[in-house]
Amino acid sequence: MLQKPWFKFFIWFLTTFFFFLSAGVIISMLKPGPSESEVMQFMMGMMSAMDNSMMGVAMNLESGGLLSRIIQLSSVIIIPLVAAGIAGGILIRLRNKGWE
Amino acid sequence: MKVRFDFVIHWLYAIIWALLGISGFAMVGAKYGWLLNFNYGTADYVHRLSAAAFVLITFISICYEVYRAIKRDDKHLAWFIFGRSGYQLFTFIVSLILIITGALIWICTELEMTVAGFALLVHEYISYIALASIIWHIYMKCHALIWPKKAEAKPNKTQGGGKDATKTMV
Repeated sequence: MLQKPWFKFFIWFLTTFFFFLSAGVIISMLKPGPSESEVMQFMMGMMSAMDNSMMGVAMNLESGGLLSRIIQLSSVIIIPLVAAGIAGGILIRLRNKGWE
Repeated sequence: MKVRFDFVIHWLYAIIWALLGISGFAMVGAKYGWLLNFNYGTADYVHRLSAAAFVLITFISICYEVYRAIKRDDKHLAWFIFGRSGYQLFTFIVSLILIITGALIWICTELEMTVAGFALLVHEYISYIALASIIWHIYMKCHALIWPKKAEAKPNKTQGGGKDATKTMV
């Protein structure tokens, strides 16, 4: 698979993408600003996202009662779940070491 | 042609990370908006949908690792995104941090602004580290970019026909 020309194209594309992305991030970090027009454009983008994007949908859902209760319940059980997961992982590793 | 599970997961993860990267960095602030032409709505859509796929792939990969641990399969999977040491362990930790902070940002904007702010800070800085690590990872694995040589017209019988060693990678 790795030797197929189309897959080489894909790897080259993805590699170039990541290099351009990191270059874009470095440019954004180091460039002066943000200018007033950039801030305005960004704020306008945010405002339109409230109406047309999933951001608005998510905010409406979160203000609904059922989802809020589910989220609160999830945050209560997350710590015991993580603790149980860590304990399970340690048990599996200890068991595997014991069988060697 | 046999394609390995870890190979498929690796490249799916790479595609999803690319989508998450471009959409996420475009939303960091006004200075970064030009990355997606200040189209915050599209960036938001792409980021949330890709994040769902990211969580799914991470969950499948963790399940697969747990299954391997239960089966006592210690074979090193070269292409797998998660592992017990090196860059695979780093990817595992970074993925978990990004998922947890991402979920906090999504959930806590309505409930607790302080938590959301802290999660945003961690999410952003971990993303910078992860992006730098990807560039390093590509540099270390740059042999994958070498274009395959064309098969020779007259294979050399004494050397067995010029077999490419990289073909054994997958």
